[in-house]
Amino acid sequence: MTKHGLVIDQERCIGCQACAVSCKQENNVPMGQFWNRVLTEGGEKMDTPSGGYPEDGGSGSLDMQYQPTACQHCENAPCVKVCPVNATYTRDDGIVEIDYDKCIGCRYCMAACPYNARVFNWDEPEHMPEEGTGDVEARPQGVVEKCTFCSHRVDEGLDPACVVNCPADARIFGDLDDESSTVSKYIDKYETDQLLEDRGTDPNTYYISGEMSPGRPQTSDKMESELDDVSPWSDGDDDVPSEEADSVGGESSGSSHSVEGGEIPYATPAKSGGDD
Amino acid sequence: MSDPQQPRLTPIDEWEDEAEAMLDDVEYDTDLGVQMARDAIRVSNGELTDAEFHEKYHEAVLDEFGEDERPTKPEGFEDD
Ligand code: SF4
Ligand code: SF4
Ligand code: SF4
Repeated sequence: MTKHGLVIDQERCIGCQACAVSCKQENNVPMGQFWNRVLTEGGEKMDTPSGGYPEDGGSGSLDMQYQPTACQHCENAPCVKVCPVNATYTRDDGIVEIDYDKCIGCRYCMAACPYNARVFNWDEPEHMPEEGTGDVEARPQGVVEKCTFCSHRVDEGLDPACVVNCPADARIFGDLDDESSTVSKYIDKYETDQLLEDRGTDPNTYYISGEMSPGRPQTSDKMESELDDVSPWSDGDDDVPSEEADSVGGESSGSSHSVEGGEIPYATPAKSGGDD
Repeated sequence: MSDPQQPRLTPIDEWEDEAEAMLDDVEYDTDLGVQMARDAIRVSNGELTDAEFHEKYHEAVLDEFGEDERPTKPEGFEDD
């Protein structure tokens, strides 16, 4: 079986909001709403550090820890359990999705989600430009919507838009059921947390903190499972991409680029249109 | 709603107020939504089984929505 999951390396994240913006663009998210937002551990406002300066009696622990947050695609999803009409459901591949035709707008799922990952279309959704953006049809007034792990892209073998467009390679998407996937290896190798672990929701989204991982250098916008060779970033033995880097890319899509041996690749933000 | 709607973590002691506010002017039963939300987390926590959760709210859900399509239905459970 496949179980899709996301690993977010908080040590790599630079808080640039590229994931938040590309999510909005790709998924035609209405004005005034976000499916994905880069929170900071220091407080609710954007870019709030935690800790304080050492001067004036401060602790000297000033730290800016970004925490991008969207639907966590919980294994034990409370939102799924409360939906009276089964509009919110878990796909066989672990993605929690909403059937907007079935949704009656009761918002019970919103009350049950501990991550506030869901938003409600109170009014007729507005888009800029008016005809909308990205590759997903607009949702009507009166339904709840949220991150879908970009299931429309995943179904085409493409990584989610926020993953492809993260300039810091901080977002890694893959199959948690496959031991050899980069997500599984990173969860095994690095210190990872799930948000609000005590609620027992068992999210399929994990956060790395402490030691920085090599991330997910962008060699293609294809999902890892679609690539013939997933080195350089997942050989699991060392923290830097291996020499094999040169061989990656080959026949894959136009956005791929080769990497000089030993050099750590950096991301060229790929287009998020998903038009291939 | 003037604040942008966006993901956020709610401390557990503030959660109930927020859930109530969220469901305040809903066309359906606010109390039922809050109670079910609370118990759905207990199911996630393992304090309650899917079957117990299903049975506990089956009647109320049927009354309120005219159907109960929740995936928590235990095998052999009689719909009435
Ligand atoms: S984060 Fe919220 S909306 Fe997403 S699966 Fe978990 S409970 Fe449901
Ligand atoms: S608002 Fe829609 S998705 Fe959420 S519980 Fe109600 S019907 Fe299900
Ligand atoms: S996976 Fe897709 S829907 Fe979810 S936050 Fe990323 S871009 Fe948005």
